[in-house]
Amino acid sequence: MLAIDFGADGTVVISGRLDAAQCPAAQSFLDRVEGTVIVDCTGLEYVSSAGLGVLLKTQKRLKASAGKLRLIGVNRHLQDIFLYSGFDQIFEIEPAR
Amino acid sequence: MTAHRNFRRSFGSLEEIFAFTSDFFVRHGIEQELLHAVDFTLEELFTNMVKYSPSGGAHVKIEMATAPGGVEVTLTDYDVERFDVTQAPDAKIDLPIEQRRPGGLGLHLIRRLVDSMDYEYSNEDRRSRITFRKTVAGRAGPGDAAETGGGHARD
Repeated sequence: MLAIDFGADGTVVISGRLDAAQCPAAQSFLDRVEGTVIVDCTGLEYVSSAGLGVLLKTQKRLKASAGKLRLIGVNRHLQDIFLYSGFDQIFEIEPAR
Repeated sequence: MTAHRNFRRSFGSLEEIFAFTSDFFVRHGIEQELLHAVDFTLEELFTNMVKYSPSGGAHVKIEMATAPGGVEVTLTDYDVERFDVTQAPDAKIDLPIEQRRPGGLGLHLIRRLVDSMDYEYSNEDRRSRITFRKTVAGRAGPGDAAETGGGHARD
């Protein structure tokens, strides 16, 4: 399952699994964010290629108005996926500690 | 050691598929580090079957087998057109963001995540079979694509 919501400091907190079945809910949430948005991925275990599409669509929309997504707390599996897909070049990514 | 199950042709089956893989890994003591790549690859292949063969059989069969240092997974889809996933072109990942489009990354990625992937198609019963292997020894890097032995029709 996936959970996505605003944290107390305005950061978007996403956790669980962003698979194809969960993408509509994630896209619906991210369609409402504006500006530069920090996404706390500490609890995000898994992202599929459909999930990458959600992140890319949001990044394109935000960058068109000088905003962006910044991904923090990204686990090693997700770092590999971002690297293999070239997303490390189009997102600011901060690895999990 | 093997296990197999049929899954309804629906995105809604993903949760059951992930439970199936997770259970198989625990039951057979398979390195948990491999589970992420196996789930990612299974999801990509399964959702492609759902999206591009909506009039195929009601179910897709998934078989898992232990292999030295990992697992071998086979997806069998019935009453579908031939589509050799091993021959799909790589995505252009170095384009600037303005030119990138959502989609098209899945097959590019799974070829880098698994050790090998094979495709077979039977014209006789319009059956598609994709088998991939993931082992500890075969961990790939970003520029490495899996060995592919597909492209042969079986009749």
